Amino acid sequence: MAKMTRREFLRYLALGTSAATLNQFLAACGQSAETLMPTDTAKATWTKALIPTETRQSPTATHTEQGEIAPQATTDPSPEPSPTPLGSPDLVVARGGQPEELIRHAMAALGGMEQVVSKGVDVIIKPNICIAYHSYEYATTTNPWVVAALVKLCLEAGASRVRVMDYPFGGTPEQAYIVSGIAEQVAAAGGEMAFMPGFKYVATEIPMGRDVHEVEIFDDILTTDVLIDVPIAKHHSLAKLTLGMKNLLGVIKNRSAMHRNLGQRLADLTSLVMPDLTVVDAVRMLMDHGPTGGNMADVKNMDTVIVSRDIVAADSYAATLFGMHPDNLDFIRAGAEMGLGTSKLDELRIEEVTANA
Amino acid sequence: MTRATTSKPRRSWKPSGAWITTRKVVQYLALLVFLVLFVLARRGDTAGDIVNIPMRLDPLLALSNLLSSRVFLMGSSLALLTVLLTLIFGRAWCGWLCPLGTVLDLFSLNRCRKIDAATPPDGWRGVKYFLLMVILVAALLGNLTLLVLDPLTLFYRTLAASIWPALDQIITASEVALYRIPFLAAPVSALDMWLRPEIFPSEPVYYRNALVFAIIFLGIIALNLKAPRFWCRYLCPLGGLLGIISKAALIRREVGEGCKGCTLCTQVCPTGTIDPQKNYASDPSECTMCLDCLEACPRSGIVFKARVSPAAWNEYDPGRRQALTSLGLAVAGVALVRSTPHTFREPSHLLRPPGTRENDFLEKCIRCGECVAACPTAALQPAVFEAGLEGLWTPVLVPRLGYCDYSCSACGQVCPVEAIPALTLEEKRTQVVGTAYINTNRCIAWSDHQDCIVCEEMCPVPDKAIYLEEATVILRGGETKRIQLPYVNRELCIGCGICEYKCPINGEAAIRVYVPSDNVLSF
Repeated sequence: MAKMTRREFLRYLALGTSAATLNQFLAACGQSAETLMPTDTAKATWTKALIPTETRQSPTATHTEQGEIAPQATTDPSPEPSPTPLGSPDLVVARGGQPEELIRHAMAALGGMEQVVSKGVDVIIKPNICIAYHSYEYATTTNPWVVAALVKLCLEAGASRVRVMDYPFGGTPEQAYIVSGIAEQVAAAGGEMAFMPGFKYVATEIPMGRDVHEVEIFDDILTTDVLIDVPIAKHHSLAKLTLGMKNLLGVIKNRSAMHRNLGQRLADLTSLVMPDLTVVDAVRMLMDHGPTGGNMADVKNMDTVIVSRDIVAADSYAATLFGMHPDNLDFIRAGAEMGLGTSKLDELRIEEVTANA
Repeated sequence: MTRATTSKPRRSWKPSGAWITTRKVVQYLALLVFLVLFVLARRGDTAGDIVNIPMRLDPLLALSNLLSSRVFLMGSSLALLTVLLTLIFGRAWCGWLCPLGTVLDLFSLNRCRKIDAATPPDGWRGVKYFLLMVILVAALLGNLTLLVLDPLTLFYRTLAASIWPALDQIITASEVALYRIPFLAAPVSALDMWLRPEIFPSEPVYYRNALVFAIIFLGIIALNLKAPRFWCRYLCPLGGLLGIISKAALIRREVGEGCKGCTLCTQVCPTGTIDPQKNYASDPSECTMCLDCLEACPRSGIVFKARVSPAAWNEYDPGRRQALTSLGLAVAGVALVRSTPHTFREPSHLLRPPGTRENDFLEKCIRCGECVAACPTAALQPAVFEAGLEGLWTPVLVPRLGYCDYSCSACGQVCPVEAIPALTLEEKRTQVVGTAYINTNRCIAWSDHQDCIVCEEMCPVPDKAIYLEEATVILRGGETKRIQLPYVNRELCIGCGICEYKCPINGEAAIRVYVPSDNVLSF
């Protein structure tokens, strides 16, 4: 082979780099705007519907700007707010049955997954995979079949892609995904397990924040069309319980710092993230030594799931399963006070279904 | 024998040919296997017995470990393969397989230079034998410190604690920068999905002295400026061991009738062992069987053929005087590195990998860095001076940089010499690495009366080795507050260090893991 001079080498290098860049650019132009710049239409409409008018300026203001650039490009057939059809319950509790049946019955009673997931949207499911230590029987991570059932329902509703992700605090994500059993079930259901690499966290303002005004948050959580929060109901010594709002801690970088004034800070974070659907997995509950568990004596079988589009309501109902009043939990009080949802269970339309009926 | 007719030696000239191509292919493959096994050790899903094969092939490590620990390991018998290879082909390991040798060949700097670099005198070749003898005598006395100079441990340690973290930093910085450019966000994410967690860890890892390891490594490459493969010629103790074995090697380089004394072989020999004064003969202990001379010879004057008779002893080869000097030096050295405080009292934070407490760790550890590479959280770091000079670059657990993952037992699985016992996950979970103590002066719950239960939350022990007591405290203004204060249950604590790692205050954590005190529970 002829020897290449340094100048020639640099020339080829520059040529190659620009060609590669151009290629990416052209590829990017060819894609529909929606995949590259997912709009928040679905999320924005939902939050508008939920948040009382006085605090309605969208909590995801930074991202609605993006949404306004290309809202027409989305395939979302219902840009107008229509969260639940008239007469549908605010919250559904399903009891007694296999996890997948629980989810299917609960979602059907809520009005169907179609209420949340429209055709062609991008969905992220955020279970609680906080550690890589124990299998699902120990009730430290979300039940794999609950997650898988949600993946199936999303795909059946026409979602273009369903990703499942969390960032554990103990052990590596790859290990945690496997140990929890979630990786296997999600793959079987047709979803994809995604990692949350460090470079994708962006400093984001919390417009409604009362105690925390900025967090470094995983970008895709804010840019995805639909976010489904799937906590497992567990004991936690500071928050007392870890439920839907506490589960959102998994999408930010500096979690330790959130522990001071945890209740208000969780509410602040929730105001930014606002999941479109909250599913509390109470198939098994961890009653003590949470959130890490590891002792079967602390696990209580409940065969229950709670679904709601109101995260505060879902957490409030879940608290009662532990025999607690929602008002005794700081984060629920703070969330209700900020208007993120309602904690007054007697004001909600709650439907109870039995899955094995 | 006529002198060379070419007036100017062309130092940039490199011979080529089928043998050299074959050798290079083997060299690059061996280097690739070394790197792939390193990456697999990192990922942790490959059996330890596979990822540590390179270390087990190294006879210097096997022999020193055997002398020092007095335990014969089945795994170490792999090193006999290398011995056998050397008995047949001489130092072919050095020329064909050694990953460090391959790197040095890649950076054969002096071939690019025009000056006729004056190579050091031949006497320097004795240094490697001297080092070898010191290592073996020290090993007999139970000290393995100088194994940090073994080429495999040296390269592996540099990879684990220096090269890989640095590459990771560069990639992460590029990703952060490029992700902000809209049309690059998608390809950058795709690239990252390919790289992590397969090749680089999902969370950045940090190593103390990453720069020191890099400087040493670069220094060894830079020595190539003085002479090609300077390290292999003069310093490498493994080269020394293989060199001595090569004295009895079967296949030898011989100069035949065809030689007209053109000196081309002398010019291309990377170890400079072809001596025009001795009829272009070479020393089998110095020859790496690279076959450059074979391909360079224009007249087929060189043959490699089998011959049973030990090679001649040279001036630089070890003699009685060197043996005695190295014996004295090794004894004095071992005595001196033991005469330091750490042998008398365990340093507070000298935490060892799980399961090593009841083990004569220092007599077994070959400082190879396999455990450092395998530790998913970078909790295991090469010791700087925590363990004194005697424990230089042995693994220590540094909880502030990483914690011992409750779902991992990789270090024991990959250890090639059972210095860290190969424990099952269940066994490892009960190993006491250390014991946590709370510094109530720094703890924000204790001293600032702020809610923080992070250490308790993180504790992986099923019944929680950290528990909380609710207390009423009086705040500065006089009003009272109910607060949860953390305590350590030292009967349950295994010293994994996740509490110290996650403690939210800056600088030194408010909870620290100390070496376990065996008598603490008997009071």
